[in-house]
Amino acid sequence: MHSPLDIELFLFQYVVRRHVVRENMEPLPLSEPVLLILVSLAEAPRHGYSILKDVTAMSDGRVTLSTGTLYGALRRLLNDDWIERFEDEDTSRGRQAYRLTANGRRHLQTEVRRLKQLTRVASLRVAPRER
Amino acid sequence: MLALYRSVLYLYPEDHRREFGDEMQAVFAEAERSVAVLGASSRMAFYGRELFGLIAGAMEEHIRCLTGIRSWGVLPWRRRAMRSDFRFSKATPVLMALILVAILIAIEKATAIRNSVYPASSVHVGPLHAEHFTFVPSLMLMFACAYLVGMIGWAIVYALHRSGVHRLDGMKGGTE
Repeated sequence: MHSPLDIELFLFQYVVRRHVVRENMEPLPLSEPVLLILVSLAEAPRHGYSILKDVTAMSDGRVTLSTGTLYGALRRLLNDDWIERFEDEDTSRGRQAYRLTANGRRHLQTEVRRLKQLTRVASLRVAPRER
Repeated sequence: MLALYRSVLYLYPEDHRREFGDEMQAVFAEAERSVAVLGASSRMAFYGRELFGLIAGAMEEHIRCLTGIRSWGVLPWRRRAMRSDFRFSKATPVLMALILVAILIAIEKATAIRNSVYPASSVHVGPLHAEHFTFVPSLMLMFACAYLVGMIGWAIVYALHRSGVHRLDGMKGGTE
Protein backbone atom coordinates (compact mmCIF):
# COMPACT_ATOMS: atom_id res chain seq x y z
CA MET A 1 0.00 0.00 0.00
CA HIS A 2 1.41 3.37 -0.96
CA SER A 3 1.46 6.28 1.44
CA PRO A 4 0.12 9.65 0.24
CA LEU A 5 3.75 10.82 0.02
CA ASP A 6 4.57 7.95 -2.36
CA ILE A 7 1.60 8.84 -4.49
CA GLU A 8 2.66 12.48 -4.65
CA LEU A 9 6.18 11.38 -5.58
CA PHE A 10 4.83 9.11 -8.32
CA LEU A 11 2.65 11.88 -9.69
CA PHE A 12 5.56 14.32 -9.64
CA GLN A 13 7.77 11.83 -11.48
CA TYR A 14 5.00 11.20 -13.97
CA VAL A 15 4.60 14.92 -14.70
CA VAL A 16 8.37 15.41 -15.06
CA ARG A 17 8.72 12.41 -17.38
CA ARG A 18 5.82 13.50 -19.49
CA HIS A 19 7.38 16.94 -19.78
CA VAL A 20 10.80 15.55 -20.71
CA VAL A 21 9.38 13.11 -23.21
CA ARG A 22 7.07 15.68 -24.74
CA GLU A 23 9.90 18.20 -25.17
CA ASN A 24 11.96 15.71 -27.11
CA MET A 25 9.34 13.85 -29.05
CA GLU A 26 7.65 14.80 -32.27
CA PRO A 27 4.62 16.91 -31.45
CA LEU A 28 2.07 14.40 -32.68
CA PRO A 29 -0.87 14.30 -32.99
CA LEU A 30 -0.93 17.55 -34.88
CA SER A 31 -3.59 20.16 -34.43
CA GLU A 32 -6.08 20.29 -37.27
CA PRO A 33 -4.92 23.67 -38.65
CA VAL A 34 -1.28 22.49 -38.75
CA LEU A 35 -2.27 19.19 -40.30
CA LEU A 36 -4.25 21.00 -43.00
CA ILE A 37 -1.33 23.34 -43.71
CA LEU A 38 0.96 20.35 -44.16
CA VAL A 39 -1.54 18.55 -46.38
CA SER A 40 -1.89 21.70 -48.45
CA LEU A 41 1.87 21.89 -48.95
CA ALA A 42 2.12 18.15 -49.64
CA GLU A 43 0.47 18.62 -52.99
CA ALA A 44 2.58 21.52 -54.25
CA PRO A 45 4.58 24.50 -52.98
CA ARG A 46 2.24 27.31 -52.02
CA HIS A 47 2.43 30.88 -50.78
CA GLY A 48 0.57 32.21 -47.75
CA TYR A 49 -2.71 33.28 -49.33
CA SER A 50 -2.92 30.09 -51.37
CA ILE A 51 -2.51 28.06 -48.16
CA LEU A 52 -5.30 30.04 -46.48
CA LYS A 53 -7.69 29.38 -49.36
CA ASP A 54 -6.71 25.73 -49.65
CA VAL A 55 -7.16 25.07 -45.92
CA THR A 56 -10.64 26.62 -46.01
CA ALA A 57 -11.55 24.60 -49.11
CA MET A 58 -10.18 21.31 -47.74
CA SER A 59 -12.04 21.69 -44.45
CA ASP A 60 -15.23 22.70 -46.21
CA GLY A 61 -15.12 26.09 -44.51
CA ARG A 62 -14.83 24.63 -41.02
CA VAL A 63 -11.25 25.85 -40.50
CA THR A 64 -10.50 29.43 -41.45
CA LEU A 65 -7.03 30.60 -40.55
CA SER A 66 -6.07 34.17 -39.83
CA THR A 67 -2.72 35.44 -41.05
CA GLY A 68 -1.49 35.54 -37.43
CA THR A 69 -2.34 31.87 -36.94
CA LEU A 70 -0.92 30.89 -40.31
CA TYR A 71 2.43 32.59 -39.87
CA GLY A 72 2.77 31.38 -36.27
CA ALA A 73 2.38 27.83 -37.58
CA LEU A 74 4.69 28.46 -40.56
CA ARG A 75 7.37 29.85 -38.26
CA ARG A 76 7.24 26.73 -36.06
CA LEU A 77 7.26 24.43 -39.09
CA LEU A 78 10.26 26.29 -40.53
CA ASN A 79 12.12 26.13 -37.22
CA ASP A 80 11.45 22.39 -36.96
CA ASP A 81 12.55 21.87 -40.55
CA TRP A 82 9.22 20.45 -41.62
CA ILE A 83 8.86 23.03 -44.38
CA GLU A 84 11.26 25.27 -46.25
CA ARG A 85 11.10 28.39 -48.35
CA PHE A 86 10.74 27.73 -52.02
CA GLU A 87 12.13 29.98 -54.72
CA ASP A 88 9.02 30.60 -56.73
CA GLU A 89 9.04 32.66 -59.91
CA ASP A 90 6.32 34.88 -58.50
CA THR A 91 8.00 36.31 -55.40
CA SER A 92 6.65 39.80 -56.06
CA ARG A 93 4.40 41.56 -53.56
CA GLY A 94 5.85 39.63 -50.66
CA ARG A 95 4.76 36.29 -52.12
CA GLN A 96 7.01 33.72 -50.54
CA ALA A 97 6.25 30.10 -51.34
CA TYR A 98 6.78 27.19 -48.98
CA ARG A 99 7.10 23.48 -49.53
CA LEU A 100 7.39 20.35 -47.43
CA THR A 101 10.83 19.02 -46.58
CA ALA A 102 11.56 15.30 -46.55
CA ASN A 103 11.39 15.47 -42.77
CA GLY A 104 7.99 17.17 -42.89
CA ARG A 105 6.65 14.64 -45.39
CA ARG A 106 7.78 11.78 -43.17
CA HIS A 107 6.01 13.29 -40.17
CA LEU A 108 2.90 13.91 -42.22
CA GLN A 109 2.89 10.31 -43.44
CA THR A 110 3.21 9.11 -39.84
CA GLU A 111 0.27 11.27 -38.83
CA VAL A 112 -1.83 10.11 -41.78
CA ARG A 113 -1.11 6.48 -40.88
CA ARG A 114 -2.15 7.19 -37.30
CA LEU A 115 -5.38 8.82 -38.47
CA LYS A 116 -6.11 5.96 -40.88
CA GLN A 117 -5.67 3.39 -38.13
CA LEU A 118 -7.85 5.45 -35.79
CA THR A 119 -10.53 5.87 -38.45
CA ARG A 120 -10.51 2.16 -39.23
CA VAL A 121 -10.95 1.19 -35.58
CA ALA A 122 -13.59 3.86 -35.01
CA SER A 123 -15.51 2.77 -38.11
CA LEU A 124 -15.52 -0.82 -36.96
CA ARG A 125 -16.65 -0.03 -33.45
CA VAL A 126 -19.00 2.88 -33.95
CA ALA A 127 -20.70 2.19 -37.26
CA PRO A 128 -22.64 -0.98 -36.25
CA ARG A 129 -24.14 0.80 -33.23
CA GLU A 130 -25.42 3.65 -35.36
CA ARG A 131 -27.65 1.36 -37.38
CA MET B 1 -7.42 48.69 -42.67
CA LEU B 2 -3.97 47.80 -43.92
CA ALA B 3 -2.53 50.70 -41.90
CA LEU B 4 -4.26 49.37 -38.78
CA TYR B 5 -2.98 45.87 -39.54
CA ARG B 6 0.54 47.25 -39.96
CA SER B 7 0.33 49.02 -36.63
CA VAL B 8 -0.96 45.90 -34.82
CA LEU B 9 1.96 43.99 -36.33
CA TYR B 10 4.21 46.04 -34.05
CA LEU B 11 2.94 43.87 -31.20
CA TYR B 12 5.11 41.07 -32.58
CA PRO B 13 8.77 40.66 -31.61
CA GLU B 14 11.08 42.42 -34.02
CA ASP B 15 12.66 39.28 -35.49
CA HIS B 16 9.27 37.81 -36.36
CA ARG B 17 8.16 41.12 -37.84
CA ARG B 18 11.31 41.38 -39.92
CA GLU B 19 11.00 37.81 -41.15
CA PHE B 20 7.28 37.65 -41.87
CA GLY B 21 5.91 41.20 -41.62
CA ASP B 22 5.84 42.00 -45.34
CA GLU B 23 4.42 38.60 -46.24
CA MET B 24 1.71 38.87 -43.63
CA GLN B 25 0.70 42.29 -44.91
CA ALA B 26 0.61 41.04 -48.50
CA VAL B 27 -1.50 38.02 -47.55
CA PHE B 28 -3.83 40.18 -45.46
CA ALA B 29 -4.27 42.61 -48.37
CA GLU B 30 -5.13 39.73 -50.72
CA ALA B 31 -7.54 38.19 -48.23
CA GLU B 32 -9.14 41.59 -47.63
CA ARG B 33 -9.73 42.03 -51.35
CA SER B 34 -11.41 38.63 -51.52
CA VAL B 35 -13.86 39.44 -48.68
CA ALA B 36 -14.63 42.92 -50.04
CA VAL B 37 -17.39 41.46 -52.21
CA LEU B 38 -19.02 39.65 -49.29
CA GLY B 39 -21.62 40.99 -46.87
CA ALA B 40 -20.93 43.24 -43.90
CA SER B 41 -21.18 40.37 -41.38
CA SER B 42 -18.60 38.30 -43.26
CA ARG B 43 -16.26 41.28 -43.41
CA MET B 44 -16.69 41.93 -39.70
CA ALA B 45 -15.98 38.25 -38.96
CA PHE B 46 -12.87 38.46 -41.13
CA TYR B 47 -11.53 41.58 -39.38
CA GLY B 48 -12.35 40.16 -35.96
CA ARG B 49 -10.57 36.90 -36.77
CA GLU B 50 -7.54 38.73 -38.13
CA LEU B 51 -7.29 41.04 -35.14
CA PHE B 52 -7.66 38.21 -32.65
CA GLY B 53 -5.20 36.05 -34.58
CA LEU B 54 -2.63 38.84 -34.59
CA ILE B 55 -2.92 39.57 -30.88
CA ALA B 56 -2.87 35.88 -29.92
CA GLY B 57 0.02 35.22 -32.32
CA ALA B 58 2.00 38.16 -30.94
CA MET B 59 1.52 36.93 -27.37
CA GLU B 60 2.65 33.44 -28.32
CA GLU B 61 5.74 34.79 -30.04
CA HIS B 62 6.62 36.87 -26.98
CA ILE B 63 6.10 33.85 -24.72
CA ARG B 64 8.37 31.84 -27.03
CA CYS B 65 11.04 34.55 -26.93
CA LEU B 66 10.87 34.87 -23.15
CA THR B 67 10.61 31.22 -22.16
CA GLY B 68 12.11 29.44 -25.16
CA ILE B 69 9.20 27.01 -25.19
CA ARG B 70 8.93 25.66 -28.70
CA SER B 71 5.37 24.68 -28.36
CA TRP B 72 2.70 23.91 -30.95
CA GLY B 73 0.28 26.36 -29.47
CA VAL B 74 1.07 27.48 -25.95
CA LEU B 75 -2.32 29.10 -25.74
CA PRO B 76 -5.57 27.35 -26.58
CA TRP B 77 -6.78 30.27 -28.69
CA ARG B 78 -6.08 28.47 -31.93
CA ARG B 79 -9.46 26.84 -31.53
CA ARG B 80 -10.93 30.11 -32.72
CA ALA B 81 -9.75 29.15 -36.19
CA MET B 82 -11.97 26.11 -36.08
CA ARG B 83 -15.71 26.33 -36.36
CA SER B 84 -17.80 23.77 -34.56
CA ASP B 85 -20.54 22.09 -36.53
CA PHE B 86 -22.85 22.64 -33.59
CA ARG B 87 -25.19 25.56 -34.06
CA PHE B 88 -27.79 27.11 -31.80
CA SER B 89 -31.19 27.28 -33.33
CA LYS B 90 -32.10 30.75 -34.54
CA ALA B 91 -35.16 30.57 -32.30
CA THR B 92 -32.97 30.26 -29.19
CA PRO B 93 -32.46 34.02 -28.57
CA VAL B 94 -36.20 34.61 -29.02
CA LEU B 95 -37.08 31.83 -26.57
CA MET B 96 -34.53 33.10 -24.07
CA ALA B 97 -35.96 36.62 -24.34
CA LEU B 98 -39.48 35.24 -23.79
CA ILE B 99 -38.32 33.31 -20.73
CA LEU B 100 -36.68 36.45 -19.34
CA VAL B 101 -39.87 38.46 -19.86
CA ALA B 102 -41.92 35.71 -18.18
CA ILE B 103 -39.58 35.73 -15.17
CA LEU B 104 -39.80 39.52 -14.88
CA ILE B 105 -43.62 39.39 -15.06
CA ALA B 106 -43.67 36.65 -12.40
CA ILE B 107 -41.49 38.77 -10.10
CA GLU B 108 -43.77 41.76 -10.60
CA LYS B 109 -46.86 39.64 -9.87
CA ALA B 110 -45.29 38.14 -6.75
CA THR B 111 -44.37 41.62 -5.49
CA ALA B 112 -47.91 42.83 -6.09
CA ILE B 113 -49.40 39.84 -4.22
CA ARG B 114 -47.03 40.30 -1.30
CA ASN B 115 -47.89 44.00 -1.07
CA SER B 116 -51.62 43.22 -1.13
CA VAL B 117 -51.32 40.60 1.66
CA TYR B 118 -48.74 42.44 3.74
CA PRO B 119 -49.03 46.18 3.23
CA ALA B 120 -45.69 47.93 3.28
CA SER B 121 -46.39 49.64 6.62
CA SER B 122 -46.97 46.35 8.48
CA VAL B 123 -43.95 44.53 7.15
CA HIS B 124 -41.30 44.30 9.81
CA VAL B 125 -37.86 43.74 8.42
CA GLY B 126 -34.79 43.59 10.57
CA PRO B 127 -32.67 44.36 12.32
CA LEU B 128 -30.75 41.31 11.19
CA HIS B 129 -28.62 39.75 13.86
CA ALA B 130 -25.31 38.00 13.33
CA GLU B 131 -26.65 34.65 14.54
CA HIS B 132 -28.91 34.53 11.49
CA PHE B 133 -25.93 34.30 9.12
CA THR B 134 -25.31 30.64 8.54
CA PHE B 135 -23.74 31.04 5.13
CA VAL B 136 -20.08 30.57 6.05
CA PRO B 137 -20.57 27.50 8.30
CA SER B 138 -22.84 25.95 5.66
CA LEU B 139 -20.25 26.58 3.00
CA MET B 140 -17.50 25.03 5.14
CA LEU B 141 -19.68 22.02 5.84
CA MET B 142 -20.38 21.67 2.14
CA PHE B 143 -16.66 21.78 1.30
CA ALA B 144 -15.90 19.26 4.04
CA CYS B 145 -18.56 16.90 2.66
CA ALA B 146 -17.25 17.33 -0.88
CA TYR B 147 -13.72 16.62 0.32
CA LEU B 148 -14.88 13.53 2.17
CA VAL B 149 -16.80 12.27 -0.85
CA GLY B 150 -13.73 12.93 -3.03
CA MET B 151 -11.49 10.98 -0.66
CA ILE B 152 -13.92 8.05 -0.57
CA GLY B 153 -14.14 8.13 -4.37
CA TRP B 154 -10.36 8.16 -4.67
CA ALA B 155 -10.07 5.24 -2.23
CA ILE B 156 -12.58 3.20 -4.24
CA VAL B 157 -10.84 3.97 -7.55
CA TYR B 158 -7.48 3.16 -5.98
CA ALA B 159 -8.75 -0.12 -4.54
CA LEU B 160 -10.08 -1.10 -7.98
CA HIS B 161 -6.65 -0.36 -9.50
CA ARG B 162 -8.24 2.22 -11.80
CA SER B 163 -6.52 5.34 -10.46
CA GLY B 164 -3.49 5.11 -12.74
CA VAL B 165 -1.10 5.07 -9.79
CA HIS B 166 -0.37 1.38 -10.27
CA ARG B 167 0.54 2.01 -13.89
CA LEU B 168 3.09 4.54 -12.70
CA ASP B 169 4.80 1.72 -10.81
CA GLY B 170 5.63 0.09 -14.10
CA MET B 171 7.14 3.21 -15.62
CA LYS B 172 10.77 3.07 -16.57
CA GLY B 173 12.91 6.16 -16.90
CA GLY B 174 12.78 7.93 -20.28
CA THR B 175 9.75 6.19 -21.69
CA GLU B 176 6.04 6.44 -21.13
